[in-house]
Amino acid sequence: MDFEPAYTPDQEAFRKEVRSWLAEHVPVVEGNPDSDENYPKYREFGRQLGGRGWLRPTAPVEYGGGGLTVDNAIVIGEEIDVYDLGLPPYYDTGGTLGGASILVWGTDEQKLRMLPPIFKGEVVTWQLLTGPEAGSDLAGTQTEAVQDGDDYVINGQKIYVGGSHGADYLWTITRTDPKGKRHENLSWFLIPADSLGITINPMELMGDGGEGVGRSYKNTIFFDDVRVPASNLVGGVNNGWKVATTHLELEHGSGGRIGRNRWFDRARQRAMGLKKAGHPILEDSDVRDRLVDVFVSTEIARLFDLRNFWMNRSHIEMTYEGPQASYFRKMAHLATAQSIMELVGPYALTNDTRWDTSGRQLDAFMKSSIVDLHPGATADIQKVIMARRIGIGRQVKEKAGKTVE
Amino acid sequence: MDLSLTETQQLLKSGVEDFIARESPREAIVELARTETGYSADTWKKAAEIGWLGMAIPENYGGSGSSLTDLAVVYEALGYGPVPGPYFSSGVLSAHVLLALGDEPQRSEYLPRIASGEAIFALAITEPDWAWGVDGVQMHVHRGGNSYTITGTKLFVYDALTADYLITAVRTGDNPTDIGFLIVDTKAPGVSIRRIEGFFTSECEVTFDNVKVPGDVLLGGSAAALSGFENALRHSTPILCAYKVGGAQAVYDMSVEYSRERVQFGQLIGRFQHVQNHIVQLVNHLDSARWTTYEALWKIDDRKPDQDISVHLAKAVTSEGFIQATNYAHEVHAGVGVMREYGLSLFTQLSRSLYHSLGDPKYHRRKLADLVADYDPSLASDGSNGTGY
Repeated sequence: MDFEPAYTPDQEAFRKEVRSWLAEHVPVVEGNPDSDENYPKYREFGRQLGGRGWLRPTAPVEYGGGGLTVDNAIVIGEEIDVYDLGLPPYYDTGGTLGGASILVWGTDEQKLRMLPPIFKGEVVTWQLLTGPEAGSDLAGTQTEAVQDGDDYVINGQKIYVGGSHGADYLWTITRTDPKGKRHENLSWFLIPADSLGITINPMELMGDGGEGVGRSYKNTIFFDDVRVPASNLVGGVNNGWKVATTHLELEHGSGGRIGRNRWFDRARQRAMGLKKAGHPILEDSDVRDRLVDVFVSTEIARLFDLRNFWMNRSHIEMTYEGPQASYFRKMAHLATAQSIMELVGPYALTNDTRWDTSGRQLDAFMKSSIVDLHPGATADIQKVIMARRIGIGRQVKEKAGKTVE
Repeated sequence: MDLSLTETQQLLKSGVEDFIARESPREAIVELARTETGYSADTWKKAAEIGWLGMAIPENYGGSGSSLTDLAVVYEALGYGPVPGPYFSSGVLSAHVLLALGDEPQRSEYLPRIASGEAIFALAITEPDWAWGVDGVQMHVHRGGNSYTITGTKLFVYDALTADYLITAVRTGDNPTDIGFLIVDTKAPGVSIRRIEGFFTSECEVTFDNVKVPGDVLLGGSAAALSGFENALRHSTPILCAYKVGGAQAVYDMSVEYSRERVQFGQLIGRFQHVQNHIVQLVNHLDSARWTTYEALWKIDDRKPDQDISVHLAKAVTSEGFIQATNYAHEVHAGVGVMREYGLSLFTQLSRSLYHSLGDPKYHRRKLADLVADYDPSLASDGSNGTGY
């Protein structure tokens, strides 16, 4: 067993190239990276990364990716992680998950048309999954697409969508056969966001942007007779659920990651130097116990992600591991937030410039650890998927979605 | 990065599993639990012939000098049984302590006999006012003429009843590092050993009544020796963890299987989300134990930094996880789970019994706190901003 990526001399040389390029190009910003002032700087940085093929390093070159090996993609991931940034360096999970789905299910024409702008960072894409009537029951969506000549006409509503700065494309699954069997009555569309009949209204949620680092707003989106060319239907008519299994699988954590144990570092950093009744809190054995609680649960979450990263990249067939990592991380973060409150007391709850020394991290985490219980399937749904994949109570185990072409 | 077993390790794994299926099926293990010694001397002999008892011992002392990961592959399979017997006490823990503390004549005398299975060793540290680690050792040793004399009680000593020799921790003075170890023949006059009844597996009470240990045979007694002893624990603890991982895997497999055949209210119980939840929590504990243990093994085998952090993490997580795994398995199984002949309770008992072995989770969490609370990321040897753990 080897828990570390092994680096070849080629990779080390590549790392030098990446490191010096990043040092010159990563934007220097003050305050919230998601602010109106800062966000465009990250978008520009994303385009520069895209121009080099580093935004989507392993995606094929013909579709605007870097065509790089997994080994070199790991190097880029690690180097950009140093700046506390990911790929892309702004909110574009719609591009990440939608791009993967188009890559698996799109026709050659669709891939050549749709993917380069996404993979080069020229556009931002939002995923539209939850509807007022379809939360965990995604396949029960009542958003409808009806064919009319060369177009489909879409009507319906989606919620908890996107971020603060708009999008160029939206994608969603819609019901295309109201009388069809469940899971065989849906189709998947990529929709230009400026289509007539689309209304986007910001939502007010706990943990919204402005209060914490990198937290963006969510939106409600209405479709009123929105016309979308039939050529934007990906994966075949009434085959949308299959397409969805690809991005759902990735969203449920099967992609894994190699990362640092950030929340332990942050909790400990904040606790260092704090005094309670005149005594350094880190000398208190109860406080140290709480800190170890944080360490233990975040280390396990790190190991689950690491295992999934290895399984995914080595093409080892996965079953319950994706949703396990997702479930575990959700619960670990909730428990960690509680531990941090016990560790540093009311200081955990403030982003006041005078009293917060965490760079607005802790207060944001107190909220995001709750908010994050739901996106990408609720903690309960993750358990349901795990049970199906393990094959509890059934003879045939459910298969994981296809995430690579 | 490659988290899989090597091809050789895969072969080793299936070899051990085949052996256990043949020599020590679960029905036989249930029977063994009712016997006085609690293990099969016949299986022990065969395991020794294959070489499992010498894996932790270098070739020049009659072993095979295997990696810790190889050793863990064997012990995980043993834990799946769960094959009972002094395998870990003798072939891993005592072997490592003798390697760390023994002088050349002692190593040459004892290690080949451990490797061949001919002599069984166990480690006696804990005393009635229990504390984990050697810090709690109060039993003093007295040097008189050409021998040492000890009097007192060691408690919760695993596998003492079946052992030929006990490596016994004694206090040589009042300083924290004044800890030595004596190799005591269990047949020496004044030694009495009694298996303690209860929710235990092989825990014993060992009483020393003016026991004389002849010769100049005290191991350790210095700060350097104590760090050697800690190194022996560092190398042994992950193997004990692997044994528990095997046990947790077994109760997981039993629970999934049962959920697929037990019918209530006209349907398989696995269709009920409460039952599904039990199994989901169970596999989370199992995988937490597995991957913390594997990372610790890898760090030691590959000589990576921060080994102690990983060892303490693995032991805390594994001890807790094994107990939780059996608890969830009992919720899935209900009444059937507590029938002795079914076999689940073997693991339940083991998860309690081994909870304290080499230190309970609280002990390891406190050690962890000392290592991580004051950790300075800037000092990480690999310059990884704190990714050293």
